[in-house]
Amino acid sequence: MIRTERINLGTRLRDVSLHLLKGSLTAVVGPNGAGKSTLLQVLAGLLKAEGAIAWMGDDLNSISFPERGRRLAWVGQDLHADFAFSVRDVVAQGRHAFGDDDEFIDSAMKALDIENLADRSVTRLSGGERRRVFLARALATNAPIHLWDEPTANLDVRHGLDVLQLATKLRNEGRAVLISLHDLRAALCFDQVLVLDRGHLAAAGNPDDVLTPELIHRVFGVKARMGQEMILELP
Amino acid sequence: MKRLWGPASLLAILLVVALMGSLALGEVRLAPSEVLSVLMGRGSDLARTVVLDFRLPRALVGIAVGASLAASGVLMQSFFRNPLASPGLLGVSTGGALGAVAALALGWTANSIFALPLASISGAFLATFAVMALAKREASAEHLLLAGVALNALFGAATSFLLNLTAGRFEVSGQIIFWMLGGLENRTWSHVWMALPGTVLGCMMLLPLGRSMNLLSLGEQGAQSLGVNVRRLQWEIIILSTVLTALATAVGGVIGFVGLVVPHILRLAIGPDHRRLLPLSMIGGAAFVLVCDLITRFLPGELRLGVVTALIGGPFFLWMLRRPS
Repeated sequence: MIRTERINLGTRLRDVSLHLLKGSLTAVVGPNGAGKSTLLQVLAGLLKAEGAIAWMGDDLNSISFPERGRRLAWVGQDLHADFAFSVRDVVAQGRHAFGDDDEFIDSAMKALDIENLADRSVTRLSGGERRRVFLARALATNAPIHLWDEPTANLDVRHGLDVLQLATKLRNEGRAVLISLHDLRAALCFDQVLVLDRGHLAAAGNPDDVLTPELIHRVFGVKARMGQEMILELP
Repeated sequence: MKRLWGPASLLAILLVVALMGSLALGEVRLAPSEVLSVLMGRGSDLARTVVLDFRLPRALVGIAVGASLAASGVLMQSFFRNPLASPGLLGVSTGGALGAVAALALGWTANSIFALPLASISGAFLATFAVMALAKREASAEHLLLAGVALNALFGAATSFLLNLTAGRFEVSGQIIFWMLGGLENRTWSHVWMALPGTVLGCMMLLPLGRSMNLLSLGEQGAQSLGVNVRRLQWEIIILSTVLTALATAVGGVIGFVGLVVPHILRLAIGPDHRRLLPLSMIGGAAFVLVCDLITRFLPGELRLGVVTALIGGPFFLWMLRRPS
């Protein structure tokens, strides 16, 4: 669904080549400042970088803006909202590239558990609620590619697990989903893990092969040890 | 569209009442029936002169100024994602003021009545181009904002300098100060033709942008990811808001706070959807300026329009700053 050849952006990204398959769930992990958000923005066509990017076989530069909106949904970390749009109005913005039809809006709000907030102003929500609103807006696009930048940050345990389950569901529907996160244990459940370190791809592949104690020590500077732990899962 | 026609008709009625008031009230007081008969091509010579030569052009210029400034305010607030932004922000108003003051101080206005408005429009565009040059092509909103702050200070200083140069020439310096405070006195049909067609055209051009501006006001990258050509939209916003502010400043002088107060009150009443906010702000801005202009006719000492809008807008702005978001 997305293929890149040697993306470079100053010192922020160096020679990043990757391939996201149809029906795949990919995690991007890495220390603060490793370039996770930058990578997602470049893949989404929001930041210009050197190198080639193709979405569904088409060179990104040849895809019109509305068509980009239909093919790829991106959720950033900026949760700033100064204008009092209602939650439903914001989710409905996901249909912008489709001429503002009403499809997928209600199901998106249901999936993110924000139906009860529909008429509330986005300026009067907590950070976690607002993140779910922006995720619902992305979901309403019904796009085949989803890029979410730390979607579980400031979500409570339950809603965090909901979001990861939603990503799995989108993967099962045949979409390509790429998520950046800090929780390495959550990344173990993904199909593929990309490890970014100071702008370059330190490792990529199956999480069990990639997230070894050696790599975690080298990239994050912490000791990883397998042991007993509390496991949280949806009922 | 829900919640458009109700508020729109209310504001339209307010505008018509303000317009009737502008045509009827003043030193020569006319009955509404007299005003209507003049507008239908009848009426006494005195009433015809008062309405057609003085009050109608003044009111039409007021409508153009109010609609331009309020629409400009909405554009800038969406661009900067900040409800406190206003047309003066990029230095466009002070640029326009500098152009006009230069024309007055250097005596260009003796040659043609168009010299002053043209100088003002040039000054406003100079300001916009200066902001763009300072902020380059890929500039962030913050960068543009700071460039505007610097230019505002620079143009303000240059204006004061020109004012100092005219010290002793009381007629000229009086005229400059009069103009810097903004007003609609002595507006003629040439001012109407200078401002109104451009305002109508500009307003028509920006109405279709409302849909995309909704997305932009919640974040540039989010808007682009949903299919908006953000770079193009931002240029459209900058150019339209400059032209509209320049036209308003050219014919009415510096009139502050219209672009801040009107959109803000309307947002509280009908919500932030730009598809409604843009047209309603234009009508509301026009009505607001006409009402403020009427106030100037009745307060002692012939208070200037820019002073009245500032007296209303200044406290309002402070109240907004104090209000928890």
